[in-house]
Amino acid sequence: MILNNTPVRTSKNFNINNIKIDEIALPTLVPFSNVKISGETDTMTVEKTKKFELHFTYGVGNVIEDCNQCLRVQVSGKESSPIKIEFDFDQENAALAENIEVIANENAEATVMILYRSDKEKTYFHQGALHVIAKKNAKIHVIVVNLLNVSSQHLMSMENEIDENASVDYTIVDFGAKTCISNWYSNILGEKAASSVNTIYLGSDEQFFDINYIAHLRGEKTNVNMEVQGALADKAKKHFKGTIDFKKGSKKAVGNENESCLLLSDEARSIALPMLLCSEEDVEGNHASSSGKIDTKSLFYIMSRGFSEKDAIKLVVKARFECVLQTIEDWQLREEILSRIDEELL
Amino acid sequence: MSKSQIEDINRNIYDIKNEDNYDFKMKKGLTREIIEELSKQKNEPEWMKEFRLKALDVYESLELPTWGPDISELDMNDIATYVRPKSKLNSSWDDVPEDIKKTFDQLGIPDAEKESLAGVGAQYDSEVVYHSMKEELIQQGVIYTDMETAVREYPDVVKEHFMKCVPVYDHKFVALHGAVWSGGSFVYVPKGVKVDIPLQSYFRLNSPESGQFEHTLIIVDEGASLHFIEGCSAPKYNKVNLHAGCVELYVKDNAYLRYSTIENWSKNMFNLNTKKAIVGKNAKMEWVTGSFGSKISMLYPMSILNGENAKTEFTGISFAGKGQNLDNGFKVVHNAKNTSSLVNAKSISKDGGKCTYRSLVRITPNAGGSKSSVSCESLMLDDISISDTIPVNDIETDDVIFSHEAKIGKISDKTIFYLMSRGLSEEDAKAMIVRGFAYPISKELPVEYAVEMNNLINLELEGAIG
Amino acid sequence: MSEKLLEIKDLYVSAGEKEILKGMNLSIGKGEVHVIMGPNGSGKTTTANAIFNHPEYQKIKGSISLEGEDITNSKTDEIARKGVFMSFQLPEEIPGVSVTNFLKYAKNKITGKNVKIFEFKNELQKNMDELGIPKEAVDRSLNVGFSGGEKKKNEILQMLMLNPKLAILDETDSGLDVDAIRTVSKGIQMYKNENNAVLIITHNTKILKSLKVDYVHILVDGKIVKTGSAALATEIENEGYAKYKG
Repeated sequence: MILNNTPVRTSKNFNINNIKIDEIALPTLVPFSNVKISGETDTMTVEKTKKFELHFTYGVGNVIEDCNQCLRVQVSGKESSPIKIEFDFDQENAALAENIEVIANENAEATVMILYRSDKEKTYFHQGALHVIAKKNAKIHVIVVNLLNVSSQHLMSMENEIDENASVDYTIVDFGAKTCISNWYSNILGEKAASSVNTIYLGSDEQFFDINYIAHLRGEKTNVNMEVQGALADKAKKHFKGTIDFKKGSKKAVGNENESCLLLSDEARSIALPMLLCSEEDVEGNHASSSGKIDTKSLFYIMSRGFSEKDAIKLVVKARFECVLQTIEDWQLREEILSRIDEELL
Repeated sequence: MSKSQIEDINRNIYDIKNEDNYDFKMKKGLTREIIEELSKQKNEPEWMKEFRLKALDVYESLELPTWGPDISELDMNDIATYVRPKSKLNSSWDDVPEDIKKTFDQLGIPDAEKESLAGVGAQYDSEVVYHSMKEELIQQGVIYTDMETAVREYPDVVKEHFMKCVPVYDHKFVALHGAVWSGGSFVYVPKGVKVDIPLQSYFRLNSPESGQFEHTLIIVDEGASLHFIEGCSAPKYNKVNLHAGCVELYVKDNAYLRYSTIENWSKNMFNLNTKKAIVGKNAKMEWVTGSFGSKISMLYPMSILNGENAKTEFTGISFAGKGQNLDNGFKVVHNAKNTSSLVNAKSISKDGGKCTYRSLVRITPNAGGSKSSVSCESLMLDDISISDTIPVNDIETDDVIFSHEAKIGKISDKTIFYLMSRGLSEEDAKAMIVRGFAYPISKELPVEYAVEMNNLINLELEGAIG
Repeated sequence: MSEKLLEIKDLYVSAGEKEILKGMNLSIGKGEVHVIMGPNGSGKTTTANAIFNHPEYQKIKGSISLEGEDITNSKTDEIARKGVFMSFQLPEEIPGVSVTNFLKYAKNKITGKNVKIFEFKNELQKNMDELGIPKEAVDRSLNVGFSGGEKKKNEILQMLMLNPKLAILDETDSGLDVDAIRTVSKGIQMYKNENNAVLIITHNTKILKSLKVDYVHILVDGKIVKTGSAALATEIENEGYAKYKG
């Protein structure tokens, strides 16, 4: 199965245009009942609906056609506390394919948190599709946290349509799954529309990540910001493909992309393809990408203060992730994420 | 060539067409018979003929690239792969036939040779018509000759190195090159010999609907050093021309090689060229490239850092105007400990032209302690042009320092206003900013070529701005 | 009254939707030093940009003339070639173009003839010595990586080399330490003579102490509300603009 194509191809020999997956055993979908929804209010509702289809411009690609959860989130007011949708995998709820649509009406403001957790008993399968529509002046913060176990599969497609002066900002935490394939696409349409994605990923064992983020800047004065921080231990491997595409008409648009990967083992492997595509003159695009191990000087400094090497490494990783973690207001969730770092880098 | 002459340079020099007045022109297309005929015409040893035929098989088995610019317009049935000029190889310009000599005179090659070069080779269509080098270098054992002579006179060295650095399987057009190659230069610099002033080969394609497939093989032996300059141009015809040359560079332990290119092919040229260097222990390979011509260019010089402490630098600029799609870049494989690479790539797009920077940095598990730093900058001169940056960074070990930065933007209005407040017209201001943008590349070129490059920039900007 | 150099008459200028200058009048004669002071947003920098016909500022009404010739709608570079110079608050960085090459090129354009290299180098060296600019500084790319003070000194160096009829110094003294201000004042004194003029735009009176100022103008809300002698600057220093506002 060939998934997660980049918008523009490069040499086949570089092995990054897409990802070929053979080994996923496709599950048969049965009802998934471990869904917890909290934080609903008068102007922010979650409706479990009949099946609906989502059409994606990019997306990971549908590994299974069917779905066993369909949710529609409607936001019409300004909400200060978030809505939280939690999916917990266990023996009885081993496969999930969900479609979620978030519609933010004009001037609406809200945070939507979507969490995926699992026990460590089994290999679970998850295919997620999330579609966010932000109408004029709406501001939506989406937090997607993948804390599945490291033997599961996680395939996540996210697509956003953003109108005039609206913004859709993501915080993505990808720590879980043996195969984590993630696709994020923002279609930034309206004048002064903006979008951002702030991601941390952590790989250990033989985890593999294929992350493909795409932003189309179409409206005047639009803005996109991609900040991706990762750490890879053991034999973990990641592909990061980030594309900022300045389409015709995106005058005075600004796009920034920063990708940085800490390599914590000499067998870890990081491949990055940070693309800037530009068909408009008066724009500003920047990308920066870096990788390497933790500077031995800083490690030494921390250890001189009584930390073991393992603890020093954890400290540096947490510090790297801090700027992304800060965007999560829920302190309990932050703690949960931090303790997962301790667990994985044991 | 004197500086004042260069300052007066104009595009017309590159566009002067001589009559298509050849000694032998192969019929168009690509078949076994054509390859056999080509080998016969060149009076080659049997092994080379076999090599060509094998390469043709590979060519037929490989697909066209599934990425990059659309090259479907290129039809090998319309290309004559071999055009022998009416001239034998000469070592004195006086013996070169008048019309061919005039072309090189106008390009300033004989003057440059007198003033600033240690040796010159000049190829016209498929064959080298002139080759000469300073006497003292001959004394030191430096070999600089055309590739055909090298095949005849140094068969062992050629067999050992020819298409070993760039195997015919690399891609379709390398296989094509292996089948139909003709002309090019062979350079050998013996151990410890430092060639202080540059050698230059100039490639001129005059014949319409034809291809140039020169092969350049340079071996810089241990502790030796060389600066090699390659210049290319062709007049413009309505039908496409093809350039599928191949450059193989062997930079042995402790050696140094700088390879500079000013490419100004006409804008009907498909430039599908391949260049690769294998760099030994403590050795250094530097690429300096200015890419101005061609309709389509797909060119990604590559350094393979095979020895510990090997270093490479790439400094390049592409300038795409109307109808041009320049897909250029650089590839480096760090394959030994403590190797380093430094990339400084720039591009300018105007008048609907497209520039793509496409690259690969691979740091293999053997390459602990390596460093790589890449910087790309693209300048958009209007809103109908395109500029893409497509870099792949493949890091396979942890003990590395890798960084990549890229920027796309236009010339800021504030900067233009600032310069205009100092009395420069808007056109002058933009030209000055673009020349400044290109300066990190032009400063790496010998002064004559830097001036030529600035003139090319001014020429390209003329009429495009304002 | 000395011979007229610059004359601004009833000038209305807006930037985007916002009207900034609202009936500005200013007359500068040869040999004079003028100072415009005013609170933030009063239109000081707009005045300088308007003289240079900056494309982002629209002239609604009024005129600007230089030596009797109308330059209201002349292009920026033409105005420069007619002999007006402006020192920028934030000089632009031009990578790959050395200070020397830039100055040579600009001087060719301003004078309309090719400068003689030897004379040019001597003059450049002399001016650099006076301003305490190190020799190697002119081989650096124009303003790239220059500190705030180095940029301002470089603006003054450009003024001396291009030798304009009218030099407009926009906040040239802001953000500078005492030594740098002294250098800038020295540059202005070196430049100043009977046939040229200086227009200093500032909100700082320090730089005025070492210069002989002929006129001080107070600019409030796009109009000159008061013109006086150097003493007016001292008054502002002590009392601020409150008296002239609103």
